[in-house]
Amino acid sequence: MRRVKLISLFSSLLLLTGCWDQTQLNETKLVRAAGFDYLKNGKIRNTASIPQSVNMDAGTGQVNNQIFYAVGNTTRQSRIKLDQKVSEKVDASKNLIVILGEKAARKDIYHILDVFYRDPKSALNARIAVAKGSASDVLSGRFEETETSIGIGTYLNESIRSAEDASIVPVENIQTICPVMFDPGQDFGIPYLVPEKNAVSVNGVAVFHGYRMVGTIHGAQGVLYTLLTGKQKNRSMSITKKISNKHKDKILNYVSIRVKKNKRTFNVNVSPDDKISAHIKLTMNVVITEYPRDNLTSKKKIKKIEQALSKSLTKDANNVLKKLQGMNSDAFGVGRKLIAFHNPTWKKLDWNKEYPNIDYTASIKVKVIGHGIIE
Amino acid sequence: MNSSHTITHRQLFFVIVQSQIGVGVLSLPYTLFAKAKTDGWISLLLAGLFIQVSILAIWKLCELYPKQTIFDFMPKIVGTKLGVVLNALFVVHLFSVCVVILILYNSIVSKWIFFQTPRLVVILILALTCVYCITCTAREIARFLMLVSPLLLVLFFFVAYAYSDVHLLYAFPVGAAGIKTILSGSTDALISLLGFDTALVFIAYTQGKSNSKLKAISYASLCVTLFYCFVTFTTYIFFNPVEIEIVPEPVLYMLKAFSFKILERTDLIFLSIWIVFVTTSLISYFFFTAKGVQKLLKLNHHKSAAPYVGIICALIASIPGSKLDVQLWSKLIGMSALCCSALFPIFLLLIAIIRKRKEKGAVST
Repeated sequence: MRRVKLISLFSSLLLLTGCWDQTQLNETKLVRAAGFDYLKNGKIRNTASIPQSVNMDAGTGQVNNQIFYAVGNTTRQSRIKLDQKVSEKVDASKNLIVILGEKAARKDIYHILDVFYRDPKSALNARIAVAKGSASDVLSGRFEETETSIGIGTYLNESIRSAEDASIVPVENIQTICPVMFDPGQDFGIPYLVPEKNAVSVNGVAVFHGYRMVGTIHGAQGVLYTLLTGKQKNRSMSITKKISNKHKDKILNYVSIRVKKNKRTFNVNVSPDDKISAHIKLTMNVVITEYPRDNLTSKKKIKKIEQALSKSLTKDANNVLKKLQGMNSDAFGVGRKLIAFHNPTWKKLDWNKEYPNIDYTASIKVKVIGHGIIE
Repeated sequence: MNSSHTITHRQLFFVIVQSQIGVGVLSLPYTLFAKAKTDGWISLLLAGLFIQVSILAIWKLCELYPKQTIFDFMPKIVGTKLGVVLNALFVVHLFSVCVVILILYNSIVSKWIFFQTPRLVVILILALTCVYCITCTAREIARFLMLVSPLLLVLFFFVAYAYSDVHLLYAFPVGAAGIKTILSGSTDALISLLGFDTALVFIAYTQGKSNSKLKAISYASLCVTLFYCFVTFTTYIFFNPVEIEIVPEPVLYMLKAFSFKILERTDLIFLSIWIVFVTTSLISYFFFTAKGVQKLLKLNHHKSAAPYVGIICALIASIPGSKLDVQLWSKLIGMSALCCSALFPIFLLLIAIIRKRKEKGAVST
């Protein structure tokens, strides 16, 4: 009797898996990168990259990048049409990155992203980026690195990740931009990709206002943008700056630094006559990584470099702020500070009109804390 | 009452904590936000204070009638006939609470993980597990509830992880909603804090000094209020105030965006742990209900009532299908539960005190 009981108990374990909600890997095709573009007729083109590994004899698999396209009136419709083209069921729950074509980004991006936020299985931690031109060009391009080993999704994801580590772009994913997108007092920026001949370069930051992309911040300014967000406190970000004009040998006019620590203080003030002023102050601890003139022995010399760097970075930072004001993108959240601490003022204003005209400045203080293993 | 059936006051603490933390935790920030906006967490703290009054009433009742459950002393307070009627009504109320727990559990589980699985299966699996759990004594139940309590820490850490990406400024300006709206929001908060009423039956099994029992329940309620407050506040600074209006389960949604090296979908892990807490609150309510049924039908042991309680609740819970039905049911039952669990004990205590006074007066004259 005891044995019968035990056997029936253990055999009932087999029933525990249930048989309704199964998703079997061999019956699905995993989308690793998805791109969205608006076509001229207003429809949405969905590009999906589905890598399939091709088994070679020595066990070293090669990845065959399959790219599928589908056009629909909405994101979901295009996804359904995509499903009809692909032999197995398309599953986007392991998606790594979503790419929006620049045209699509300049319209309301929430219209496209709604399916990602609504679907319980979607990957909200996928990265999101804007591509110059169309997203399908980026996804279907044949790049050197993707040829040999990895799928395009992994490739793009990794290149953005390394750009994040170097603070060229801010760290964002589909979910982290969402609260900011809804916020009337703050805007956001996401990586901006430019397809080149045989690689994709993470070129800068695509800056948004509300639900729409309004412009880009390129190259070295992107680093300053990320520094000014004050979020990446302990990342290593490198900047090369010209600090003098004296030397004929051009290379000697430059110094390269790596930011070790970046502390931000952000003040927003409202004067009695309702004038708004905002000031961002950064205090950076940096390490000099390149200074061919050497001679960093004296304190005076280091002070001089600190001053020169502070001055030129402050100028750059103010340029970034000007640019953001020009694009009417409140990426660092001056409006949010107003909502929180100057609520009566905020209620009176039309922030979209007010923001470009506020007094918005930045100052950067550089402190050299090291200079590699030579002086 | 058999001596091996008793529980300690430490176990009482965990019983109350486990019955209070349940289905509500996932959607609490959303329901609070609907009224009190970003000041919802203040409503919650206020609700915690109000609850203390009910707790005091429950404790006092149980002190007046030691070693008796509410079903034992109800006839003594209001008279035998009315007592039976009120007992029956109270059992109906408990049934409805069990049903609403199952309904909400099913609606979340079928929305987040089991899209295809039939309602009845999802509900029956939980209900039958709970039925099995309550066929034992109060002590064994308390031990089980205590055993799973460390899982609370896991929930805590998951939620705390959200602090890697929060916008503290979203919580400001504090108190913008105004005192009136904050107060009205605390009714919703009260419903989610229900569960302390299981003390009405569990105190009867608790050994020890009367004061330490009160302390156990009050601390339990304090812990739960603070935990809920922490969860609510975290979601309020994670989501933008505009966004939270469209996210009915903010806690899960928040975790969906996080991934660790080896865990990709934190929300699913959280959900599985959350189910344990649903189970525990259902266990204590099932036990409560079964005790009531035992008293009403004059059964020897509540064990024989358990399967019927479970199956009836499961069947009723599988009726509402659409989201709007679920909302309607949970709203109605929420309000009735609020009256029966939080207000009724106070009312009962007043009658009991007046009765006792009269009796004393009658004796002295």
